[in-house]
Amino acid sequence: MMNRIDRRTFIRQSIRTAVAVSAAGCLPALDLLALPAHAASMPPLAVRKGQDVPVLVRETLSALGGMANFVKSGDIVVVKPNIGWDRTVEMAANTHPEVVKTLVLLCLEAGAKQVRIFDRPCNDERRCYTQSGIRAAVEQIKSDRVSLEYMDRRAYKELAIHGGQAFDRWEFYMPAIEADRLINVPIAKHHSISRLTLGMKNLMGVIGGNRGRLHHKIAESLSDIASVIHPDLTVIDATRILVANGPQGGRSEDVRITETLIASPDIVAADAYATTLFNLKPEDVSTIVAAARRGLGVMDLRQMRMV
Amino acid sequence: MRLSSWTYARRVSQSFCLAVFLWLFLQTEYRGVDQLAYPVSLLFRIDPLAALADLLAPGPFSWQILWPALVVVLLTMLLGRFFCGWICPLGTTLDGLGKLVGRGRKPFSPGWRRVKYYLLIVTATATLFGVQLLGLFDPLAIFLRSLTLAVYPAYNYGLNRVFDVFYEYEVPLLSSAIKGSYPVFRDHLMAFYQPIFTLGLFTLIIFLVILLLERVEQRFWCKNLCPLGGLLGICSRYALLQRTPQKLCADCQLCDSFCRSAAVRDAGHMRSECLLCMDCSGFCPEERVRFGLRTGTDNNLAVDLQRRGVLTAMAGGVMLAPVVRIGPVTHEQNPYLIRPPGAQPEEEFLQRCVRCAECMKVCIGRALQPALFEAGPVGLWTPLVVSRIGYCEYNCTLCGQVCPTGAIAPLKLPEKQKNVIGLAVIKKDRCLPFAKGVECLVCEEHCPTGKKAIVMEEKDTLVDGEIRRIKFPRVVDRLCIGCGICETRCPVEGASAVRIINEGESRRQRSGVPAGPYG
Repeated sequence: MMNRIDRRTFIRQSIRTAVAVSAAGCLPALDLLALPAHAASMPPLAVRKGQDVPVLVRETLSALGGMANFVKSGDIVVVKPNIGWDRTVEMAANTHPEVVKTLVLLCLEAGAKQVRIFDRPCNDERRCYTQSGIRAAVEQIKSDRVSLEYMDRRAYKELAIHGGQAFDRWEFYMPAIEADRLINVPIAKHHSISRLTLGMKNLMGVIGGNRGRLHHKIAESLSDIASVIHPDLTVIDATRILVANGPQGGRSEDVRITETLIASPDIVAADAYATTLFNLKPEDVSTIVAAARRGLGVMDLRQMRMV
Repeated sequence: MRLSSWTYARRVSQSFCLAVFLWLFLQTEYRGVDQLAYPVSLLFRIDPLAALADLLAPGPFSWQILWPALVVVLLTMLLGRFFCGWICPLGTTLDGLGKLVGRGRKPFSPGWRRVKYYLLIVTATATLFGVQLLGLFDPLAIFLRSLTLAVYPAYNYGLNRVFDVFYEYEVPLLSSAIKGSYPVFRDHLMAFYQPIFTLGLFTLIIFLVILLLERVEQRFWCKNLCPLGGLLGICSRYALLQRTPQKLCADCQLCDSFCRSAAVRDAGHMRSECLLCMDCSGFCPEERVRFGLRTGTDNNLAVDLQRRGVLTAMAGGVMLAPVVRIGPVTHEQNPYLIRPPGAQPEEEFLQRCVRCAECMKVCIGRALQPALFEAGPVGLWTPLVVSRIGYCEYNCTLCGQVCPTGAIAPLKLPEKQKNVIGLAVIKKDRCLPFAKGVECLVCEEHCPTGKKAIVMEEKDTLVDGEIRRIKFPRVVDRLCIGCGICETRCPVEGASAVRIINEGESRRQRSGVPAGPYG
């Protein structure tokens, strides 16, 4: 039989516990306790360089044990590139179409039942899908298992963000959440407030609502989002990167050819490594720090298993 | 009522033309290529009133675009008002929906016929003196405007709701069929984004009034009010196509009650009023009615315009010009009067724009909205860029491509990207970093000019008693083209913290200032 307590005892105990917890929370050192919660220790991270994009993608993935490690036969897979802007490939504003195409092919080879590709762009969707070259690249695959889709305005749903620091609820795009696998394929770019836009920021493409509001507390907001959406794999396209006037770019002067691909099942690890391409450290990007603190992944470059 | 094969031919022609115009209307949208594949504004290229507006506007007549309108005029001179009976989509709509709204059969005061001529004279004279109002009464503009601003948005909204219901609730059999048809509708028969227009309801009411006038009299609009009908009526005065018999027959008089434009009278046939619907060649019990080349005595019965009326109308037109200029110059008075890129200087723009709404239909970013009084007393239905609703897409040149009268010049993409339509101004009392000490960069992030026209600058600032380093946006005037995406996307609720004003617009004529807003 349970040990019954009376109301008074209950209230007293509750208050005591609350005071103790908040006192502990006030100690800045204890903030670190919130570190890796569901982050795997020593996540694998693959970094490869190469000029031939399809080969580069395949090499990077095989370093991680192949796509079969992430996609199982019969899975519904969502590939989420950055198709945010009405810009051509050379302007380095959107994910490279060949990266997207090769990843989709790898998913098909791994036996995916269906591969869906979408993003919620900032410019007109139709223009972005075409101008980015991603429409043409996906159409080349000619498979009825692959679809490049405009996001359906009816498929957003407001979800609670447990432990959210900036928001306690937000609208999410359900097909991205309900898919068996989510492959996050950002491009590495300069950004004025979050400094860089990488894997975590790319997740903003599968949420609804007034996304501008996220920028007021960008680090906390992106961590909130990332605590709801967990990509199974993040592949950062750094075949060419945008070093200024991002995230939209539009000038070839701001583009650097880096011929690199970074991939990891740990979104924070991939983002953390990508900072080095911009001569930055993971600590310089507040979103990465906030996410690591929330236990969403590893940001310490020494705590990763380079494969 | 017996129908002749001519009537069937006319109905086929009407349906075919309406279908073509509706199909072109649906193609007036971005479909994956930067250059529109079809002459979507065909309706206004065959429109003599649009041609008249272009002719009387400054600059040479646009032969290459508007020659079909001259063909229509020439054919009218030979055949009569075939356009009204066989082609005009508004006429077809009235014929088609007349039964639905109920048709008035009582003859209406014949004096009203003159109104359309007077309306034509007033508007044409005013146009000659620099105030172009032809588009307000042009039936083709009314048709397309109503379709664009009211009917099509309502149609889209309705259909979307139907699809939504079946998306949310699973109804056996029905749901799967309706869901299956959704992609076809979405991709070919509906707008990509739900169209939203400020004057939707207002435009709809006017369209409904024209439609309801059918209850007074069949083709009331065409018979009594339509200035295009008036123009074509004047052109057909000496047409060679003639109906026989030219008068009402003493023994029958059926024509008197059945003719939709009451063009057959005791004294003769009103050639300029006959819409060539050819119904009489069918219903005539004696099968007397023929249409053929004019021979023998001509019993044409012209509408008596009355010299006094004509002179009054002309005087009215002449007076309009100074009267509408009584107020201050609107585009100097209203800083939010932003015109699409490639728009002519305001004065000429108003003279050229026939308010056809083609540009608003095609606008990819939903930026173009019809003006009520924002553009002055004669700016009704002209296109305004309302950036809080939508922005001008950086890589898009569609509005210039569809404009039939050159009010918006067709610009090549590099020219368009340098065409300044306005200037972004940050409202520090609303902008988050300034007003609240909160970081925000949405305007900078979206700014499309390769080298950004909005830059973020870090400054120390006092927030809640402590000094914080915050990034503030600043507009670089010489780079800003006024596309308005910053205003559209500004996350501040309600009024945007950044607004586009028409300062520095390329089209404004200045003296002594080098090209570009600030050189």
